[in-house]
Amino acid sequence: MNFLYFDPGLGAMIVQAVVAVAAGVLLFSKNAVYKLKSFFGLTKDDDGYDSIDIDEEDTDESNDKSE
Amino acid sequence: MIKANKSHEASFRDPSGYMFYDGDTLRRVINPIYFSQYKELTQSGFFKTLIKNKLLIPHEETSVSEDKIIITPEKIPFITNPYEWGFEQFKQAALLTLKIQKFALSKGFILKDASAYNVTFHKGKPIFIDTLSFDFYEEGTPWRAYKQFITHFFGPLVLAKYHGADVFDMLQAYIDGIPVKMISSMLPAKTKLSSVLYPNIHLLAKMENKHSEDYKAETKIAKLSKKAQENIISSLYNYISKLSLKESSEWGDYYTKTNYNEGAFKTKKELIRDWVQPLNVESLIDIGGNDGTFARTVQDIVKDIIVTDIDRNAVDFNYKQLLENKEDNMLPFVCDVLQPAPGIGFNNTERSSLIHRLKEYSPDVTMALALIHHITLSGNVPFEKSAAFFSKFSKYLIIEFPTREDSWVESLLVRKREFINHFDFYNESNFELGYTSYFELLKKERVAGTKRIMYLFKNKEYGS
Repeated sequence: MNFLYFDPGLGAMIVQAVVAVAAGVLLFSKNAVYKLKSFFGLTKDDDGYDSIDIDEEDTDESNDKSE
Repeated sequence: MIKANKSHEASFRDPSGYMFYDGDTLRRVINPIYFSQYKELTQSGFFKTLIKNKLLIPHEETSVSEDKIIITPEKIPFITNPYEWGFEQFKQAALLTLKIQKFALSKGFILKDASAYNVTFHKGKPIFIDTLSFDFYEEGTPWRAYKQFITHFFGPLVLAKYHGADVFDMLQAYIDGIPVKMISSMLPAKTKLSSVLYPNIHLLAKMENKHSEDYKAETKIAKLSKKAQENIISSLYNYISKLSLKESSEWGDYYTKTNYNEGAFKTKKELIRDWVQPLNVESLIDIGGNDGTFARTVQDIVKDIIVTDIDRNAVDFNYKQLLENKEDNMLPFVCDVLQPAPGIGFNNTERSSLIHRLKEYSPDVTMALALIHHITLSGNVPFEKSAAFFSKFSKYLIIEFPTREDSWVESLLVRKREFINHFDFYNESNFELGYTSYFELLKKERVAGTKRIMYLFKNKEYGS
């Protein structure tokens, strides 16, 4: 087990199972709605916030290419 | 030779390591208990990717020995705390934390804590500053920092939506985040119908309450798949991205509410630039600087600028402006001069007071425009006391004195009603008398088209 230096809260550990199910349903339905909308050409541009995903392109390689 | 002359006051909670001052340089010691994590995070390129994306503060490895590794992070000139952020800043700090957790998960790591103090603002953007907050992911375990994320980030943001962003002030009282039960009780009943707020806040509060007496830690913790954890994180990320304040922002009118014309506005800007330029300064603080309008007049000649205001909306607007213009040398934050942020946490030093941080930052120039009448007439602070306050951290002070004939001053005075005579001391000569007990008067100029006088002072304690 990883070492703990603060109490993560037992309730909080247990509740995550429920939270995850709710989140899963929500994400799935949003995705479905989005797909439907984009099928009918109704999608809007994003809200200006970055995507949650991080760009992992390796700088060294891209530097090599530019040389 | 590295010499630890003072350990950092906020660095004791995590046994993985601690921070210390080597002269003026802040370094971080990593204890053997954390060696395996640190090595894996470094060798796998995890740190490198985060640093390259400007999400984690860069560090250099300073020394490696059997009993400790020392790393030296890039210096951050001024640390702001979560209760000093505007709504947008808070929101971005929360999103950054989730982003990092999602990335960590994909690489077999986790964020072992999600404290809001792990994030601060540097070069115009939020940045993660606790390099040792990562640990190995263990298949099937729920996110240990989940509750912390809710009490430090998610809860305060949702409360801000319903009660205004000044709820962030509550974090001064709750260094470990606002208790879930309190967040739940402060939210309107309709939030129980929300598929995000119900499980993440109300149900969490209920479960925490139910299991609060499990003293022997006997209850079994259910497994949670990685995919399930990713869903929690993504759903929180989506929800926070769309959060906005209910209260409409009033910033737009700030400078239309001034009592002088555009010409005078321009004269004041030019005067500031003319005074600051020959001083060849590196750092400046504009106290009561609103949305940074006046600080921006010297942005190209001063390396590092911090702008504070009591109005969170103004701070927010300033932050949005600097994001839009990609400005990297300005830092806006909230500060009430009449009640600056205190030192909080263990020993009252875990998060240092504003005055302490300002002394350390030691700005070359302090600007206080259209502020003294508020301090003096709304706060009843005598001139000598406000002068003493500024002298604690300022070398040069540019201060604007609105005379009794100024319409703002007139209005403040009239509101004193029968006590108006108690404020007869509010005049030019008493102001100068008070300020010259701490400062040397260098320049004085009336701003044409206004009833205001600009002063340039130099701290008597500060060498020539």
